Amino acid sequence: MNNQYGNSVKISVRVLQLLILVTGFLLLGRIFYLQILSFDLYNPLSQRNALQQKVVNPARGLIYDRYQNLLVDNVPIYTITVTPNQFDTTKLTLLSGLSSTPIEELRESYTKARAYSWHRPSRIMTEVNFEVFTKIEENLWQLPGIGHSIESKRNYAYKNIRGSHLYGYLNEVSEKQYRETVNYRLGDKAGKTGLEYVYEDYLRGTPGVSYIQVNALGQPLGSYNNGSLDIAPIRGADLITSIDADLQNLAEELFKNKAGAVVVMNPNNGEVLSLLSAPDFDLDFLAGKIEPEYWQAVNFDTLRPLFNRVVSSIQPPGSTFKPLMGLMALELGLITPEETIYNPGYFLRGRRYNDLAPPGDYNITRAITKSSNTYFFSLMNEIANKELLNEWNRLATGFGLGERSGIDLPNEKPGILADSAYYDRAFGKRKWGIGDLISLGVGQGTLSVTPIQMAVIASALANNGRKVHPHIVREIRYPEGLTTIRNYETTTIEWAKKIDFTPIIDGMKGVMIEGSAIRSYVRQIEMAGKTGTAQNPHGEDHGWFIGFAPADNPQVAVAVLVENRGFASRFAAPIGTLLMQYYLDRKIYRTDLYKDMINTLPPSPPEAELTETANQNE
Amino acid sequence: MWKEFNWFILLLWIILFSVGLVAIYSATQGPVAEFLPDYIQQNFFKQLIFVIISLGVLIAIQFIPPKYFQDSSYLFYAFGLLLMVITLMFGREINGAKSWLAFGPIRFQTSEIAKIATILAVANYLGTRKELTSGKISQALIATLIIIIPTILTMLQNDTGTALVFIALIPIMLFWSGLPYGISLFMVSPAIIGYFTLIGWIWGAIVALIIALIIHILDRRLWVSIGALTMSGILIVGIRLALTSILKPHQVGRILAFLDPSFDPRGAGWNVIQATTAIGSGGLSGKGFMEGTQTQLRFLPEQWTDFIFCVIGEEFGFIGASIVIVTFVLLLLTLLNSTSNHKYPFAQLVIVGVTGVLFVHFTVNVGMASALLPVIGIPLPFISYGGSAFLTNTIMLAICLNLDLHKRAFSIYN
Repeated sequence: MNNQYGNSVKISVRVLQLLILVTGFLLLGRIFYLQILSFDLYNPLSQRNALQQKVVNPARGLIYDRYQNLLVDNVPIYTITVTPNQFDTTKLTLLSGLSSTPIEELRESYTKARAYSWHRPSRIMTEVNFEVFTKIEENLWQLPGIGHSIESKRNYAYKNIRGSHLYGYLNEVSEKQYRETVNYRLGDKAGKTGLEYVYEDYLRGTPGVSYIQVNALGQPLGSYNNGSLDIAPIRGADLITSIDADLQNLAEELFKNKAGAVVVMNPNNGEVLSLLSAPDFDLDFLAGKIEPEYWQAVNFDTLRPLFNRVVSSIQPPGSTFKPLMGLMALELGLITPEETIYNPGYFLRGRRYNDLAPPGDYNITRAITKSSNTYFFSLMNEIANKELLNEWNRLATGFGLGERSGIDLPNEKPGILADSAYYDRAFGKRKWGIGDLISLGVGQGTLSVTPIQMAVIASALANNGRKVHPHIVREIRYPEGLTTIRNYETTTIEWAKKIDFTPIIDGMKGVMIEGSAIRSYVRQIEMAGKTGTAQNPHGEDHGWFIGFAPADNPQVAVAVLVENRGFASRFAAPIGTLLMQYYLDRKIYRTDLYKDMINTLPPSPPEAELTETANQNE
Repeated sequence: MWKEFNWFILLLWIILFSVGLVAIYSATQGPVAEFLPDYIQQNFFKQLIFVIISLGVLIAIQFIPPKYFQDSSYLFYAFGLLLMVITLMFGREINGAKSWLAFGPIRFQTSEIAKIATILAVANYLGTRKELTSGKISQALIATLIIIIPTILTMLQNDTGTALVFIALIPIMLFWSGLPYGISLFMVSPAIIGYFTLIGWIWGAIVALIIALIIHILDRRLWVSIGALTMSGILIVGIRLALTSILKPHQVGRILAFLDPSFDPRGAGWNVIQATTAIGSGGLSGKGFMEGTQTQLRFLPEQWTDFIFCVIGEEFGFIGASIVIVTFVLLLLTLLNSTSNHKYPFAQLVIVGVTGVLFVHFTVNVGMASALLPVIGIPLPFISYGGSAFLTNTIMLAICLNLDLHKRAFSIYN
């Protein structure tokens, strides 16, 4: 019996030992799986656990004018953050008291922050003033989960320049943007319009990374590895623009209470000296915390202040098209500079087109000076008769009509420059006739241009037929000290013959002394210019002015569009000539006009876009 | 006399408490100390004192005549139960469990004392009886009762982990006393089937079928197999019902967190994530002493007690963790071996009981730390911080060593 008992003990021992061995191997297998096979999964996990990666945003690049005046820089703003999992919501009352912010507002931000992340800090108050910031900082010990950080926002540093459409504003990056690039995180801002948008990649810089050790309670324990793994942010590149800050300031003053656009350009290289679209908006309001009321007001204003008229507004050029029209007629051999056309006071072609220019014989110079419609109607009539429409289109394209100028601003429109295919599409094949083309001769009809295109034309007239590539940024200065210079070649417009320019420019000089711009005459500087009217069937007409100076050695060219203010001689020409005299001589000779411009009363709101062709002439 | 002493077991014991001291030092004296209250920082020194005391106790116990353990077992058992009842009334609550009794500065867990007492009492009861057969089912019931009483008391103290250890003693002791294999398996089967049912009821059902089949092969009585199958079915349905409609979501989360931490991401799930991350990130050789980020940055819960295995896994890697596992397995196997050259049932039963308790502690703790088992708070014997647990575990081991040392002396009593 003893023996039998001994045997059964031996079996029991083996059974239990087997059980222990199996368990031991199971556990060994488990830790082998965790530590050897899954090491690559868990090791980074523990790294991330213990290390918090903090992205350090770079300082955004600055924007300067052509004389190194600082136009746009950054100023610090104070932000209060909340980390929801560490925050005790009963402390909202204290926070509200310290910051004198309504508690409902804080509760709302807190709810948003909680929805975004439970354990990551989110902004609960932005742009608090320094006093509040220090008050909260002093009380941080009784506000667990509340943090603070210093961020920056754009500051528009030079005098009163608004530069709304020039610089553009920043906006929080879209989800798409921050998912597609490594450069952005949720809540970061990126350029939305203007130079800020176009040069975003340069201005932005490269975010840095700093590694901070944290414990399970989220307490930061200082830098990791003495900061040896940290990557310092690289600040964004600075932009040196060709803008003349004081000229820009003047342009903005002159456009007070007006709608429209101005481009002032160096006709020899396409550098933009001043550029504005009016009405504009206050970038300061969009730089930091955006006031919803202001955003609403700007967005729903019928004058569309966010709309950049310089590149996006397309209007018929009206009579400002006549110099180019004359040049094309000379090239096409429809007329010589000496040949005259008789103006009886009207032009008859299917219907009667009035001509306000005094009756008489007109050569091309006088036709431009007096803006004779009859002269240009008959030229267009001849183009139509000889089926030279596509030839006309080709020549106009040479001056940049119907295509984008390529300026470094977003949302540029190409405008409309018709050819036969265009009319075939619009009216049906061969369903259109001479009558549809006649108005093109005076810059009306199916012809639309942007102010920047008109500036290119003014420059090409000034520099004897070279098309400039308009641009605002002339240099990009990198933080390492490297500078790239933005040089754009001007292209020679092949068909334009130097000799043909003389009678045209003579005509434009005449405009300033005996033509429609006589009111803006400046004794000290010889200028060349042309006014125009885009007829607006729904309200007051729009006025155009293009010009350049000094007429024989042009250093500056302008294109001005003033909406809904009737004749160009009233506002467009004075603004254009004032800007040119100031740019050239740093003086305003016609202070009377200057006063008139800055004392203008607000315009009436526009009702609809201009569609009808016009036979208005000036 | 010392030639007979099992020096190997003593060596394994030394290895285990040394590893434990190193791990406790790292978990409380390392850079992490900054985040720990003073009384926890002292844990290493307290443990060191207990190790020294325990060594003395271990040596002292070797000089006690083995008969004494058997003779005093019932009295000791009664004393243990009394202490537990007193604890229930006047005990100190720590971490939600009212299982501590304090005498001035000395505090101890009375269930630990009851553990030794219960093993001795059951061993005495079963050892003096003839072999258990199905005919003598009443003996099995009495033995079970001896174990169940402290189990209930432990549960009343809200210490589920320790209660589990007591329950595990029942099949082990009965099996050793000759309970037929089929019935023994039947007794263990709820734990196994329950575990697989948590993973998925289909798994539970498959395992239940397999177990019923094995029981049938071992026992050959159809009603036993069918009974086992029926019980399994009730168990599976019961567990599913508990999980889906009886228990509250946070309770379910705590149980199921080891399968998917997202069930309870800030409670048990958090512990599971941090524990597996700590072990997994240790790799082959670990991050180094006091260099474990999970440990030193306080990501591990209770890292000096229940989750100490994670500290070892993180800082000493697979090498360190497998040394612990192998040492434990060797200790348990050696203890069991010492029974086979022992003729006296009481001694065998005590050794088996101690082995069983250590085995359950070890398996559940390491299983929990490596997310194989639900988070059940029981310490790793000889390694985790805890003075009274260390002392009682050492006493249990010392009694086994004593019984082994004096195995010839038993013939006198026989």
